[in-house]
Amino acid sequence: MNLTVKIGSAVFPNPVTVASGTFGHAKKYYDLQEVQQLGALIPKTVTLLPQEGNPPPRIAETAAGMLNAIGIENPGVDVFIEKDLPALKKIPVPLIVSVLGHSEEQFLKITEKLNAAGGISALELNLSCPNLQKKNLVAQDAGATSSLVQKVKKISRYPVIAKLSPNVTDITVIAVAAQDAGADGVSLINTLTGMLINTRTRRPVLGNVTGGLSGPAIKPVALNMVYQAAKKVKIPVIAMGGIMTADDALQFIMAGASMTAVGTGNFVNPRAPLDVLQGIKAYMKKHKINDIVQLRGSLILP
Amino acid sequence: MHKIQRTVTVVSNSKVCPQYYRLSLDAGSAVNEARPGQFIHIRVTDGVEPFFRRPFSVFRAAKTMDILYDVVGKGTEILSSRKRGDRLDVLGPLGTPFCEPAPAVRQVVMIAGGIGVAPFLIFSDFLKKKRVEKILLYGARAQAQVFDFKAFRKNGVEVFASTEDGSVGVKGRVTRLFGKIRQDPQTTMLYACGPKPMLAAVQDFAKGHRLPGQVSCEEVMACGLGACLGCSIPTVSGYKTVCHDGPVFDVHEPCF
Ligand SMILES: Cc1cc2nc3c(=O)[nH]c(=O)nc-3n(C[C@H](O)[C@H](O)[C@H](O)COP(=O)(O)OP(=O)(O)OC[C@H]3O[C@@H](n4cnc5c(N)ncnc54)[C@H](O)[C@@H]3O)c2cc1C
Ligand SMILES: Cc1cc2nc3c(=O)[nH]c(=O)nc-3n(C[C@H](O)[C@H](O)[C@H](O)COP(=O)(O)O)c2cc1C
Ligand code: FES
Repeated sequence: MNLTVKIGSAVFPNPVTVASGTFGHAKKYYDLQEVQQLGALIPKTVTLLPQEGNPPPRIAETAAGMLNAIGIENPGVDVFIEKDLPALKKIPVPLIVSVLGHSEEQFLKITEKLNAAGGISALELNLSCPNLQKKNLVAQDAGATSSLVQKVKKISRYPVIAKLSPNVTDITVIAVAAQDAGADGVSLINTLTGMLINTRTRRPVLGNVTGGLSGPAIKPVALNMVYQAAKKVKIPVIAMGGIMTADDALQFIMAGASMTAVGTGNFVNPRAPLDVLQGIKAYMKKHKINDIVQLRGSLILP
Repeated sequence: MHKIQRTVTVVSNSKVCPQYYRLSLDAGSAVNEARPGQFIHIRVTDGVEPFFRRPFSVFRAAKTMDILYDVVGKGTEILSSRKRGDRLDVLGPLGTPFCEPAPAVRQVVMIAGGIGVAPFLIFSDFLKKKRVEKILLYGARAQAQVFDFKAFRKNGVEVFASTEDGSVGVKGRVTRLFGKIRQDPQTTMLYACGPKPMLAAVQDFAKGHRLPGQVSCEEVMACGLGACLGCSIPTVSGYKTVCHDGPVFDVHEPCF
């Protein structure tokens, strides 16, 4: 059974990974033998400088999902390279490092540092970052996306994946802009902006007022966006948004995704990524499919 | 993915007083791993409503893994309907436990507000053989929160109670019992668990009398594993996760 996935020059043993920000640094809890079965690891987004994150409460549950406003708490790329990367490199699973800059220059500096560090399979550009010209997000602006991807691509020694935001009118426009600027893949979706109010106190539930919605609640939205984007681009699509089970992941693959990531599902069921992988294999066996390529985009339309 | 994710079986689940339930779980080898102050993270439903797991302090880990809980919302409501033989998906024990009192310590003071009493039975099990004075200052709202403290007394703990309505013990908040604390920084050690205002009062008291201590904090949790950074609270050294860096912190650390 062939499950391998290629993104640019990078090869991944299978199509199941974990979404950035949902898979921990608390290594002592993870069974390494189980982690080793994953197709890739994507740790929490790193920025150029350390970020302390948002004031609590940072998370809240809602029907079939959650809101988060963590504020990309991270130690900064230098500490990441010095402290986290060595341990991550020891895990024999391809590593996709998620990065975010508050300007193009910051993205380029982070890329240079990671170029020097080595041992990485691909970069994922978190485009939910400020677009300094227009005061929106880079992910909300085809021009800014194109410019950023092009510049990073020029200096990166690793394949470059653009992570798209669903908070746009037409995500396919951004996906195409990323592809045309040289991206080796796109991942989608990041969280959908939302909020909750505590009626007893009349205050927002989150310290940051608004946050990102994730989990099963967003799966149909994510599935449609992946379906639409995969029709428009030729580069591989990494899909995420509410995946809890193998059936969820198979839906994304049938819609055209090359890889699938479990995010929020990890919090409810830490075994979810493995369950997803085993379930995909079982499905392929049952339907006598020997290459994942045969499943990709295999949706039958009415 | 997780070496401490287990499916466990409910052994019993019943009220110990009008307001609190005790749930006993057949948790296999996990009982040997539990340390006082740690918690288990329970998935109360196979579905997605409520969505998050729910954290509960280990109340006792002997033959079974036990928690003591208060029904405050939908998750604990579902938990209270679980019967002997039901299966539950549990993570843990998780988090940083209470530290052992230093050798010089002569008085161990456990300060509990309501359901915050939960981690102190297992703690007194661990301290049983220590020849130091052990006192539990238990502040409840009313008699409905007062259960049989025999198991504490068996471990050599002297129990003092206060209730806000005066139905049991001293009338008022648990701070009314602080007179029992020996104010010697070298030989007294405070351990507290309860609502935030109580922990803040303990912090003030510890500051005022230069007493060492630890507090067990609460915050809404998603992963419980230090992965999502969702349960962070402000401390004197920046944000720290309640689930992984805590729930037990030095009494002087959190910024309440
Ligand atoms: C480390 C830790 C240990 C805990 N140990 C115990 C224990 O031993 N026994 C026990 O009864 N409870 C304990 N709790 C609190 C317990 O987790 C909550 O009471 C429970 O999650 C409520 O779930 P629910 O669905 O019933 O209530 P919800 O419907 O979720 O909420 C009902 C009310 O409880 C509040 N609440 C919800 N979650 C929390 C939380 N994590 N902390 C504080 N308040 C909350 C809500 O704001 C709301 O007012 C602990 C919490 C933590 C963080
Ligand atoms: C607590 C939390 C933290 C997240 N942190 C990041 C992050 O640092 N970088 C990023 O690109 N996406 C982050 N995400 C978004 C996820 O990677 C994912 O795109 C999104 O949650 C949708 O997938 P899901 O529904 O499976 O969680 C975070 C999501 C959550 C819930
Ligand atoms: S609950 Fe996820 S870090 Fe604490």
